[in-house]
Amino acid sequence: MELLRPDSVEAAASALRDGSVALAGGTELVPLLREGIVAPSALVQIDRVVPKGIREGWIGAGTTLGELEADPQIPAVLREACSLAASPQLRAMGTVAGNLLQATRCWYWRLKFPCRLHGGDRCFAKEGLHREHAIFANDFCASAHPSDLAAALLALRATLKTNLRELPLSELYRLPTQEDRATTTLGDGELILELTYEQPLASTYLKAMDRRRYAFAIVGVAASRYEDGERLVLAGVAPVPWVLEDPSELDRATPLPGTEYKVEIAKTLVRRAREGIR
Amino acid sequence: MPEVRVNGQEYAVEAEVGTSLAHVLREQLGLTGTKVACNEGHCGACTVQLDGVPILSCLTLVHTVEGREVTTIEGLRDHPLVDAFVRADALQCGFCTPGQIVSAAALVEANPDPSREEIRHGMAGNICRCGTYPKIEEAISSWQG
Amino acid sequence: MARLIKTEKEVEGRYTDTWIVVEEDTLDQWPEGPRDSVGRPATRIDGLQRARGEARYTADIQLPGMLHAAVLRGPYAHARVKRLDLEAAREAPGVRGVLGPIQEEVGYPGQAVAAVAADTLAQAEAALALVEVQWEELEPLLDPDEAVARDALVSDARTSERGDVERGFAEADVIVEAEYRTQSVLHNSMETHQAICEWEARDRLTVYISTQFVWGIREQVAEHYELPPDQVRVVCRFMGGGFGSKNSPDDYTYIAADLARETGRPVKCALTRRDENLAAGHRNATIQRLRAGARSDGTITALEGDFVNATGWGGWVSSTGGPMELLYGCESVRITERGAKLNSSPMKAFRAPGFVEGTFGLECLIDELAAKLGLDPLEFRRRNHSEHDAVDGRPFSSKNLLECYTRAQPHWERREQVRASSDGPWKRGVGLASQIWYGGGGPPSYAWVRVGAHGRAVVVTAMQDIGTGSATAMAQIAAEELGLPVDHVDVSLGDTARGPYASISAGSSTIPSMGPAVRAAAADAARQIIEIAAQRFELEERVLSLHGGRIVSADGGSWPIEEITGLLEDGQILGKGSRGPNPTGMRVLTFGVQVAEVAVDVETGEVRVDRIAAIHDVGRVINPLGASSQVEGGIIQGLGHTLSEERLLDPRTGAVLTQTLDSYRMPTIADVPEIVTDLVDIPDAHLTNLGSKGLGEPPIVPTAAAIANAIRDATGADVRSLPITREEMLRALREARERRPERVGAPAA
Repeated sequence: MELLRPDSVEAAASALRDGSVALAGGTELVPLLREGIVAPSALVQIDRVVPKGIREGWIGAGTTLGELEADPQIPAVLREACSLAASPQLRAMGTVAGNLLQATRCWYWRLKFPCRLHGGDRCFAKEGLHREHAIFANDFCASAHPSDLAAALLALRATLKTNLRELPLSELYRLPTQEDRATTTLGDGELILELTYEQPLASTYLKAMDRRRYAFAIVGVAASRYEDGERLVLAGVAPVPWVLEDPSELDRATPLPGTEYKVEIAKTLVRRAREGIR
Repeated sequence: MPEVRVNGQEYAVEAEVGTSLAHVLREQLGLTGTKVACNEGHCGACTVQLDGVPILSCLTLVHTVEGREVTTIEGLRDHPLVDAFVRADALQCGFCTPGQIVSAAALVEANPDPSREEIRHGMAGNICRCGTYPKIEEAISSWQG
Repeated sequence: MARLIKTEKEVEGRYTDTWIVVEEDTLDQWPEGPRDSVGRPATRIDGLQRARGEARYTADIQLPGMLHAAVLRGPYAHARVKRLDLEAAREAPGVRGVLGPIQEEVGYPGQAVAAVAADTLAQAEAALALVEVQWEELEPLLDPDEAVARDALVSDARTSERGDVERGFAEADVIVEAEYRTQSVLHNSMETHQAICEWEARDRLTVYISTQFVWGIREQVAEHYELPPDQVRVVCRFMGGGFGSKNSPDDYTYIAADLARETGRPVKCALTRRDENLAAGHRNATIQRLRAGARSDGTITALEGDFVNATGWGGWVSSTGGPMELLYGCESVRITERGAKLNSSPMKAFRAPGFVEGTFGLECLIDELAAKLGLDPLEFRRRNHSEHDAVDGRPFSSKNLLECYTRAQPHWERREQVRASSDGPWKRGVGLASQIWYGGGGPPSYAWVRVGAHGRAVVVTAMQDIGTGSATAMAQIAAEELGLPVDHVDVSLGDTARGPYASISAGSSTIPSMGPAVRAAAADAARQIIEIAAQRFELEERVLSLHGGRIVSADGGSWPIEEITGLLEDGQILGKGSRGPNPTGMRVLTFGVQVAEVAVDVETGEVRVDRIAAIHDVGRVINPLGASSQVEGGIIQGLGHTLSEERLLDPRTGAVLTQTLDSYRMPTIADVPEIVTDLVDIPDAHLTNLGSKGLGEPPIVPTAAAIANAIRDATGADVRSLPITREEMLRALREARERRPERVGAPAA
């Protein structure tokens, strides 16, 4: 394996073809490399070309979670989501873009069961143990998306800029299908560079987890209030971050036998989050 | 051949791409104070500082730290926290302790008088299976005294 | 004088009768209370070494020419190896030796099948990928009840009965019956299981290993290779945690030794964290079907328990029924214990094996019974206190459980105030549970004490300090007897070639087994120093004593100890000591009670433990600082077992789903409650020259039940299954709501 260190976005983009992968903080990629879940021809170290830093309504995609957590101009929902994510060391390493692109924690997927996300023809979680899995859109694949930040940034109506396009963050994600098992729309040679978001009137992030810190969300609820209404986004409940059109959507959730409790928790956290931003 | 700077010393190391900083520290530089307990970012035993910030050396590829300053427990042996940990009995088997102290040193550097809540937040990335947490909290609360 | 006796030996609650040669224990116990060193807080004598990262653990040892082994572990819960081809692996870069098949039939996921030794671990791992295995998959057996129905047991069922259980239930005014379940939890010591083996001659083997028992490793390895035990040397200087899982050599030691013999080079075999969670043992899950009856005056008339342990492919049946047999003075008790043989990894001892699980069931059941009787749970326990061993009528060597209850009273009385602090969805409550466990240790155990010209002492004994601080306690004991400051005493341990036989560090036995031997050795050395001093100063021995680093005469004169030891030049004073017998005809046990305060968010199922008061009776406390650390550590491990830790197996294949520490969730510092430690600290007058029992295990025993009882107090919900995850808590709340709609949401009466 080779390590490339491009010094321009263009060079990075062209390096990111032919089976190479981008390396930033490494917190997600390195374990996947070790397990052979990702087997690239080369690593492309992108820290020199991806912008870092925080300005009013703008975040460089290479900014770490630790930097976001500490910056007072960052809206509460995002600061709180960062602060409740992972551990201090992982927050010091992990970048915003890397966090948005992280894969599910589904144990079957992580242990390389030949599941649908790996191109197979079964969802092992649905027939097996799935207490950490999805309550929405779980028919094809019951995995849950773990990113606290994605939910927070979706609640902030974030827009992404890559080297190829600008898109609402919601368009970064897609549900896996029989034809295409990917959970993001990021293309070959495409690199997330920066994000912009809209400053809310109020916002908050609530997270139910199995420890007080250093655990992935059972349910995370990002809530924000704007002049034209509220926005509610859930982490840990579907194969992608889940935008709630309306709190009553939770009445129409399709939990598995082992994830019914998540609906109950989500309902409570959504109510509390909405109270919190009033 | 990456060049790495550890505790003020320069080292030229031979390592394949994909080799972790933790591996090089322990197996090549003989700096075995840094422990590896899970090797996948879930425990904090391998914590070192990179330019003063605590990071996990098991997930850090050695080729990516060129030009940066790595500080391990061997570089913090005379930090007053070491004494504070011993005084408070904030260690049992001691396998996680170097990582705890490296994290704590960064914590008190940024915030010399952390509250109990700040200690709990800042130290949550270092698992101790022996359960020395109450004593760690005490050691960090009292490190100057 | 050496004496041959027949004695009962107990480790982890397992008793065996053995002949044993013991030296009489002729020393009188010190009076109760803190002394110069013993009974005073001491920091760890090796604390700086560990904290500065200087301590060399097995994981840190690199021998010249050392090879690294990687182990191929079977992916199936049950399968047969039809064909194994190691040739491609043997030819891979860096490979120096291969081994396999290690077994033809694998009985659990992760059982070792083949191994490779190479110059680097990466090369060994790469070579493993070239090993070709043809498997024949077999049907796995995963359900413990089904295993019992099929009579698939690891050993014969054990039934024990006293009194007349049928009559006991007939006499009861109230009977409660419930099924309790506990999960499988994983030790996850921070240092994984590992060993380095080096053949120093064709019939001499040195084993560096992370272990709780260097002598046990020596014995088993010598037997395995048919070597005289003295030709096997086992070294464990620093050790990164064991908690019961590191008592035996296991596959990795033999893999390292076999490959070392094949290659002629030292070989290290270290489990990865994932291997650790697949194949290094676990606290087995249990199913406990319990029944208890009591008269309205609060006398328990009958207890009955049917216990099924999900033991695994191997292991032994830890006594889940033990607490039911021992804790209360109930006249009629019947228990049946079965260990299901399953296609999951063998159980291993885990900090008070059996009693942690059994106390959860029993002490929750007792609270349910107290509630039905309308009795205060603490008072109910007092009324059923046993004055002597209820199993065979033996007296206890000492028992201060009633004193523990008295000291628990102020914590228990916080109940009203805690309940009243319930706030919105957060309901608060208090619960308690009692603790009973072994921890008396026993012979044989030996120590030497060496004093040189400089007037400093070294305790030499081949015990191990697994992180509990036992080395520090030994230094305190020797310092006390020699009248030296603790920092003038060093402890040399962890090497079978450098000291006499010492106890296993399991079953809370290090202090009660080793401490008396160390004291006896120090006393022997002190006696010799005084003999020399008496000659030098022309005084009678009986007027001399050692104190504060000085030789003190009854007439007021005193001399620095170096004035005498300095006469030795290169000579040394060698003291020798051994552990005397346990008191004949007595039962040696530890006791305690914990009071937990919890808050439950009844809308999200979140449980927060706010405070735990732990009161334990373990005889004399050697080091109050280290002891409080042991108590906190036990409680925090218990907290993880209660709330967040569980080994999960795929129900279809038996695959371990929680191999990594993001999915197997041990507490972090953010989860820790306030812990108040109160040790009764009364020496056991019948037990050894110290009166000390062990403390490693007692604190973890009652934690789960105390928390579950506090949850019931707070919410009215019965949690009968561990861990109390959000879904379990929400389920129990729902069940309680359906049962007694008026009670939920308000603190229990």
